[in-house]
Amino acid sequence: MSHKSAIATVAFLVAVLLYPLCFPDSYHLGVGISAGAMAVSTVGVVLLLGLAHQLAIGQAAFSMIGGYANAILCVRYGWDPFVAMVAGALLAMLLAYAIAPPLLKLRGFVLAMATLALHLMLIVVAVQVDFTGGPMGVTGIPKFAVFGLPLSDDRSFFWFIWLLVFVAVWVGLRIDHSAIGRALRAIAASEQAAGSVGIDITRHKVQMFVIGGGMASISGSLLVHYLRATDPTVFGFGYSINLITGTIIGGLTSIWGGALGAAIIIFLRELLRELELPLWESVIMGALTVLVLIAFPRGIAGFVSRIYDRVVGGDAPQRVVVTEPGAVALPTVSDPPTLVLDGVSRSFGSLRAVSGVGFTVPAGSITALIGPNGAGKTTLFGLISGHLRLDAGVVRFDGLEIQTLQPRDVARLGIGRTFQNLQLFDNMTVLQNVMCGHHRFGGAGAEQTARDALAFVGLQGAENHDPASLPFGHQRLVEIARALALRPRMLMMDEPASGLNDAETERLSELIVRVAALGVTVLLVEHDMRLVMGLADHVVVMDHGEKIAEGAPEPVRSDPGVIAAYLGQEIPARAA
Amino acid sequence: MDTTVFLQLLLPGFTTGCIYALVALGFVLCANVSGVVNFAQGEFVMLGGMAAAWLIGLGVPFAVAILAATALGAVAGAAQEVLTLAPVRRQPHFIQITTTVGFAVVLRGVTLIVAGKDALSVPGFSGDGVFFLFGAILPVPSLWVWSATVLLLVGTFGFLRYTSTGRAVRACAINLQAARLMGVNAERLRVIVFAVSGATGALAGVVITPIVLASWDAGLSYSTKGFIGAIIGGFRSPSAAVGAGLFIGLLEALSAGYVSSGWKDFIVYGVLMAWLLLQGGVFLRGRVDATVGGP
Repeated sequence: MSHKSAIATVAFLVAVLLYPLCFPDSYHLGVGISAGAMAVSTVGVVLLLGLAHQLAIGQAAFSMIGGYANAILCVRYGWDPFVAMVAGALLAMLLAYAIAPPLLKLRGFVLAMATLALHLMLIVVAVQVDFTGGPMGVTGIPKFAVFGLPLSDDRSFFWFIWLLVFVAVWVGLRIDHSAIGRALRAIAASEQAAGSVGIDITRHKVQMFVIGGGMASISGSLLVHYLRATDPTVFGFGYSINLITGTIIGGLTSIWGGALGAAIIIFLRELLRELELPLWESVIMGALTVLVLIAFPRGIAGFVSRIYDRVVGGDAPQRVVVTEPGAVALPTVSDPPTLVLDGVSRSFGSLRAVSGVGFTVPAGSITALIGPNGAGKTTLFGLISGHLRLDAGVVRFDGLEIQTLQPRDVARLGIGRTFQNLQLFDNMTVLQNVMCGHHRFGGAGAEQTARDALAFVGLQGAENHDPASLPFGHQRLVEIARALALRPRMLMMDEPASGLNDAETERLSELIVRVAALGVTVLLVEHDMRLVMGLADHVVVMDHGEKIAEGAPEPVRSDPGVIAAYLGQEIPARAA
Repeated sequence: MDTTVFLQLLLPGFTTGCIYALVALGFVLCANVSGVVNFAQGEFVMLGGMAAAWLIGLGVPFAVAILAATALGAVAGAAQEVLTLAPVRRQPHFIQITTTVGFAVVLRGVTLIVAGKDALSVPGFSGDGVFFLFGAILPVPSLWVWSATVLLLVGTFGFLRYTSTGRAVRACAINLQAARLMGVNAERLRVIVFAVSGATGALAGVVITPIVLASWDAGLSYSTKGFIGAIIGGFRSPSAAVGAGLFIGLLEALSAGYVSSGWKDFIVYGVLMAWLLLQGGVFLRGRVDATVGGP
């Protein structure tokens, strides 16, 4: 546990223990209870919205399920409130699990609208159906009790609720600091890159949707036991907005921030009521949302954390100390794999981007796929890595057909890749970026593997940097290190030299040679003939979507067809 | 099925559908120039209706109230872009969308404070009589809604097709990056488009108010229905969005008539959910995940 977490935990426990002693009257206890009920669900919002950037704005739908399940089970069937709460949570999680896979394929605003629509549909049901009490709702809900043991006074209910908040925070922190937390941030930053290191995007989104739904449901249950009644307006659009506003104010990227934000929202609302300005609630909540997003996108928790770093020193990044690479030995690959393409084709509309291409990447070789701009190299690359689907043909990796696999499954076979346009996770440090590469092996050992990979590419000392603060050439190295943390048996690099100066290109080609020396089969896409000719032992040339030559570098270089493709075009300046 | 009953349900649905169509159009235009879906779109309708009703209640002449309400919508749209969206342009996409939700909440709140909780009504601008069309009885203000919609659609499509600014908007819709490289001033264009869609929404709100009451919390419903139109229309084509918006209006009216008015929202949102789930789950079961909904 970090210092910050320890301090936050102590502050939390002290506040929760002292609050009922300092404010023993039922009004203040009630405010604290409402805040706690909301805090249980804002933790879920942090996981879904703050970490994974999934804009599910209808979380109140799940609170509504929990609230109504408790109201109906306790009032009509005499269930124990605690048991009803658990049942409500299970019901919400089951619903979330059922609808999540298709729903979470939707992105951005469409996901937002879909979750909102779900919430609005539930409101209609609550109003229209007699079973839920119609517009009047359900009254006479008992006070909360655990297995028949009633929490009769508000003080014990307060402590019980905040105990649940603590549990929710603990669960949230465990997720945040695990490989799943890194995977969620990776998904938020770039789904393409997340897939390339073997992260199962849908699975992790669904997990968070289900957990968030459960937390929202528990929060709804607790609220109705405090209010002793519920009706369709309790969990309206405003409730969802308050959840999101609270999370934003507290700090989108911090679990503690979620809990803090809920408390702030509730206390603010009560303050406005006391000042007899209840009509202002909407304006102030909306304005706060906008202002915090503009000025402090990481909310109060992010702000406090930054102040702490400044005062105590924190983990301020040291200067990049680029050691001579090679100080560490990465594990070697004993049986280098072969990649075989046969008759691979892909069209975009009437454009045949790749047409009947077949070649072999020999085991342990450095194979270069070259050709002029628009030859179809990057498309072919995407077809192998699983980011594009082919129309016809077969791709075999060590005899296994992989052309129908998703990118994550291609990665899990041990095929690492880098991107032509860098796809680093800009919401994580360099070290965490590289640790994501280790995802297919789980959390244990990720840090050591990542440190080794960084040392191997020559970026020791850059661990705590923000990747965007590094020079461009170093960012390319981070991406290579991330792919190496996958312990690849094959490494695919898409134009790794683009944007590099001569010295950096030189270092890159040394690095590629060292990677190949580990027994890793390397497939390189380049249009820079100079880099390729010095490096590759096998060259495949493409032009206009077709393979025009294949073989050792020297004969390929003097092949008339290749020369025509590179030189014999209208623009002579294109000669490489 | 009784044709007169059917038309008596369908034609008022067409009137509300006009409003949803205009909101959907605003959604598509804003999304195409800014990459952001503006959740405050329906609030412009609410704002226009409330402003007009409030001004008319104060004794301001109709024409002045209509113009002032429309102008207010334009100002609100431009202010949203300049004050709230421009500063978060470099933030992740979901933050930009959340900002528009925040702005929508602010508009609701301000209206609530200024005009109060009660729904406002206004008399029809040319009387509150009724007329007959194919045997269906319709309120005269429907004619205002229809004419305003035709006027706004002709104006918007004319603007998109025949003015250089409009062509720039279309260019942005196809490829924002390329349009900027061709010298399109995207910042200026965004302000213009947000102002235009604010004004369009507000005018729609003004003409519908004699038929349905104006209320501070009406915007959410316009937003969601218009949004559904824009989604079903595919979010690229303004004319498809308008068509789908009209469809939502008709669907809503027929659901209210043949099922029950209490369940009509359930049916409309249910259609959206079914559409989305089919899109995400069945139609796009390819190797790459569905990318509906931007980055």
